[in-house]
Amino acid sequence: MCRITQEPIDVRALEAKVAGASNGAVLTFVGQVRNHSRQREVAYLEYNAYIPMAEKQMRKIAAEAKARWGVDVAIEHRIGRIELQEASVVICVGSPHRAEAFEACRYCIDTLKETVPIWKKEVCPDGAFWIEGEDAIQAQP
Amino acid sequence: MPTAGGLSNSLTGGKEIGCTAVQLFTGSPRQWHHPPLDPEVAAKFRQTQAETGIAVAVAHDSYLINLAAPDPDILDRSRKAFRRELDRSEMLGLPWVVTHMGAHLDSGEEAGIALLIESTRAILEETEGMQVGIAMETTAGQGTGLGYRFEQIARVLEGAGAHPRLGVCLDTCHIFVAGYDIRDEESYQKTFAEFDRLIGLDRLKVIHANDAKKPLGSRVDRHEHLGEGEIGIETFRLLVTDPRLKNIPIIIETPDSETMHAVNLAKLKRLAAGGSLGMRVTVRFFGHYSDFSPDGMEVSVPGGATVASLSAILAEKDGRLAGIERHCRAAVNEEYVAPDAVLQEGDEVAFIPPMSGG
Ligand SMILES: [Zn+2]
Repeated sequence: MCRITQEPIDVRALEAKVAGASNGAVLTFVGQVRNHSRQREVAYLEYNAYIPMAEKQMRKIAAEAKARWGVDVAIEHRIGRIELQEASVVICVGSPHRAEAFEACRYCIDTLKETVPIWKKEVCPDGAFWIEGEDAIQAQP
Repeated sequence: MPTAGGLSNSLTGGKEIGCTAVQLFTGSPRQWHHPPLDPEVAAKFRQTQAETGIAVAVAHDSYLINLAAPDPDILDRSRKAFRRELDRSEMLGLPWVVTHMGAHLDSGEEAGIALLIESTRAILEETEGMQVGIAMETTAGQGTGLGYRFEQIARVLEGAGAHPRLGVCLDTCHIFVAGYDIRDEESYQKTFAEFDRLIGLDRLKVIHANDAKKPLGSRVDRHEHLGEGEIGIETFRLLVTDPRLKNIPIIIETPDSETMHAVNLAKLKRLAAGGSLGMRVTVRFFGHYSDFSPDGMEVSVPGGATVASLSAILAEKDGRLAGIERHCRAAVNEEYVAPDAVLQEGDEVAFIPPMSGG
């Protein structure tokens, strides 16, 4: 249900994982690569992860959402080179009711950004930058 | 080393785990009387020592012997038993019999030391011409035990006329619980300077390397594995790299001898070889730090090292890693931990800069 992948994410397949018969709502959040950041033009992104720990943290998030809202959660995060408008992360929440689905989904993406060890490198026309929280640090070529 | 199956087995057992020095009881340490040593046994021991190449074997006397006993009967028995200790060790060709300095048993330290001097003089006189010497061991100062201050040992030495067959055995656990700090370079040097001033390092003939289960000054004698007790591994590194002590045999008297002597001995050897002892941990870097070390690194850290002390070691290795502990959270084996988390052999430590997933 939760994994890091090198491949483009199959959103429909991920939704199917949480679309059990008792769930009246399936909510999908897709994070995609945008063409600008910090007033710079972005060519593409390169994601890196501490894969085993990242997957462990993602499973923790899904378990916590299940415990709090009774929802089913599937999360996939892609790493490697990702082009503009491609999905970097997809979170699918299946829930008997929509209110819990919205709340849980927001919790999942917010917590993922805080605790799942994944980093992006923004590759711009004038160089590449590691994004570490608020900081952008010039990457070594 | 254990002597079960014959005295020579202490040598072969020692050889098996890589000892160059061993200590043994030449008789059961909890008995007054032993049958006289069979000259054949002694000959076999000497031959085995030559074969195994164990450079030094020393004896430890029976626990029953109290050369400061106020009871004249016990004192007499003790002197006779100690005399036989010397006889046996002489036959075996051992240079030293290590002895605890006895206990005054409420007769007072002054009276105890006076008796000890008298006993020592008498025994040395009786055994004149022998090669084997008496190594008085520094003690923990439990109960009414004597010899927990260097001054006391110095007085006995002096009282016995600074006889050339008198030496001293320094036990790291004992002096530490007796109140001599040796935990870092400064305190170690201070304690050894005091030993040198009061007793003289030339009198130091045997070292017992033991860590202590009980704290400094507790006067409770419980030995612990090297680096796992109150003293810590640094002291043992100082000990085995101290040029003044180069030719002094070091004996380990830690628990679980059958399984752990080899481990403790290996620690000393690594320390002596300049190894920073300890544990190997794998360190992984992410974010911009991964540009400096994309595959991470194997680092050896001292026993008891924490995430914070590891960070300091990393900063020394590569200046670009300085301050990594402030910029990053740490994870050990894929779980977030606090900077004071203690590391274990084989741990994977990851430095996690602020994240940017999503
Ligand atoms: Zn000892």
